[in-house]
Amino acid sequence: MKPLALLIVGLPLLAASGAFAQQQKIGDPPEASNMRLVGWNDLQGRSAYQPTIHHQGDRWIAYIGHHGGTDAIPDPINPMTGKAEPNGTSIVDVTYPANPKYLRHIPGQEGKYEGGGAQMVRVCDGSTLPKGDRNAVYMLRTFGSEAHEIWNVADPANPRLVTRIAGLKDTHKSWWECDTGIAYLVSGAPDWRVRRMTQIYDLSDPAHPRKIRDFGLPGQQPGATGTVPMELHGPISTGPQGNRVYFGYGTDKEGMVQIVDRDKLLKGPAAPTDANLRYPEVGRLPMSAWNGAHTTFPMLQMPIAEFAHDKDGSKRDIVMIVDEAIQNECREARQMVWFADVSIESRPMMISSWTVPEASGNFCQRGGRFGSHSSNESMAPVYYKKMAFIAFFNAGVRALDIRDPYHPTEVGYFIPAITDKTDKRCVREAGQDRCKTAIQTNNVETDERGYIYIVDRANTGLHILELTGSARTAAGLN
Amino acid sequence: MLSTRTLVYGALAATFVVALAGLSVFARWDVAHRPETHDGWQRIAWPFPRDGWNEGQAWRGHDMELYVRPKLGFCGNCDTGVVEDSEVDRVTDIDLVDPLFVPLEGQHIQIADLVGRMRLYRLRSRGDSQLAAGIAVSYNCDLVVALIVGKIANAEQRQIARKFLEADPVQFWVNRQLGEK
Repeated sequence: MKPLALLIVGLPLLAASGAFAQQQKIGDPPEASNMRLVGWNDLQGRSAYQPTIHHQGDRWIAYIGHHGGTDAIPDPINPMTGKAEPNGTSIVDVTYPANPKYLRHIPGQEGKYEGGGAQMVRVCDGSTLPKGDRNAVYMLRTFGSEAHEIWNVADPANPRLVTRIAGLKDTHKSWWECDTGIAYLVSGAPDWRVRRMTQIYDLSDPAHPRKIRDFGLPGQQPGATGTVPMELHGPISTGPQGNRVYFGYGTDKEGMVQIVDRDKLLKGPAAPTDANLRYPEVGRLPMSAWNGAHTTFPMLQMPIAEFAHDKDGSKRDIVMIVDEAIQNECREARQMVWFADVSIESRPMMISSWTVPEASGNFCQRGGRFGSHSSNESMAPVYYKKMAFIAFFNAGVRALDIRDPYHPTEVGYFIPAITDKTDKRCVREAGQDRCKTAIQTNNVETDERGYIYIVDRANTGLHILELTGSARTAAGLN
Repeated sequence: MLSTRTLVYGALAATFVVALAGLSVFARWDVAHRPETHDGWQRIAWPFPRDGWNEGQAWRGHDMELYVRPKLGFCGNCDTGVVEDSEVDRVTDIDLVDPLFVPLEGQHIQIADLVGRMRLYRLRSRGDSQLAAGIAVSYNCDLVVALIVGKIANAEQRQIARKFLEADPVQFWVNRQLGEK
């Protein structure tokens, strides 16, 4: 065969074999750069959403929210009880990260995928909350689409239900200020026109929740007519000091960041009228209709080295926005990470973006979702304003050096190995399901020690990681 | 050497062949560009500006316009499907026709093998007298949304549009978008 013919025949074969070679198989090692696996727990094979790591006395406890079960296994067996239990909340002692110890599973709402489980979890100490029991540790979680619950997890192996806020048509990614007790609960109030909006509660005394107000975009409230603005995904508050709440709307479409004056939000008129809903807003950043705002992570007053000698603007207020990929195998626009400069709140502006290069792993062919989902949300000094960790579904977790948010740079990554528990992901082709199995890193969180916790939507469990090499140096951990 | 007569006949024959070929090309172009019509409905261009979703199909006929498109992964609850009228407000393209729409009554609807809700709307920006019907049906986590605008005050008219939504030209296309279910 002539060289040209060899090239013509060989190149496509090479490309195809490259894609095939990168398809994950059971037994393959994890793929990593500057990140190392320290410990692992299978989380009883439950699909995982939010991890929250809490320093509790001399222990470190991971609380992990779960989606509902799968078609194949709606209610996985809890080996500790021997019973089939609807996915809820896993509680894992991660004091020794190399040897995480599963303590307890609290069942959630019966239902599959996002139709059940208990996806969200936040934790506050009773000693920090203004009116909490000083001996208690409170875990706020969602209960499927029906309710929010608060549990006392002072003894994490034996949690006790404290209170329940019920009667909802949906829930999602809430935020709880531990020093004030103010909670921004992502709910579906039955009479609102959207599935997800904000119910603000004073949970400073978790046993006696006090409703402050309902909040959303004008047009979402009961009785409104006309266009219904895109629903909320989740807020992050900077508390009384920062006096701002950053709300992210949309998931993979019609995204928007809304910047809200926290004081006006909490003390302004509560009746959900157009005027009252508009009152606390100080700025908006609409995004492309192809992208959503899953996570809106504020990093205020970041010093920018390049601007150090400039008279104005040497420190910038930055919000990192993470979209959520929804469709398997890239059947939508790329969902990725965006950095917005919100220093001038009435004129916020995107300054940079970042994505995993698809060709670096043929991720569109690997199966499952490829694209971003969420970032770590801990504001502990170890990584805050220096490093960000992005859950990128089949591309695992990615470590970004964000000290210059105008030029975010990847410094490490970790793609866990799949196991026999990893669930398949399918697309429809010619009326048939075509399925592949791939890691689906869904959420990530960090602790004050610098450990990185990633959880898998496809039932592969919890992986505890640490930075190595130049990434560790960049984070200042050496 | 060829005679003049032969050359003339040859030229005429060549011209005839070229003309036939041209006619054939034109006929194919004409068929390809002729508006697609079915049962009194004529396919028209998608009239709305680009947004986050792929363009749909638009049809005009029987004093109505019909817009239909899938919105993959947009169903609020993959298990229950569309069960609330407020979800129809959110997911259909009614706001593209009239951002000031006023929702009216809704009802259960089935389009082929997909079920969901249909809701009527008063179009305030068109003088309150015009109505539209929004339809949202689901297949697992995917939605198919449709909008009927025009003379739809009586149910028989709406039924014509609904039947067309179930007819081959629309169904074949919708099923392809849904991965042929």
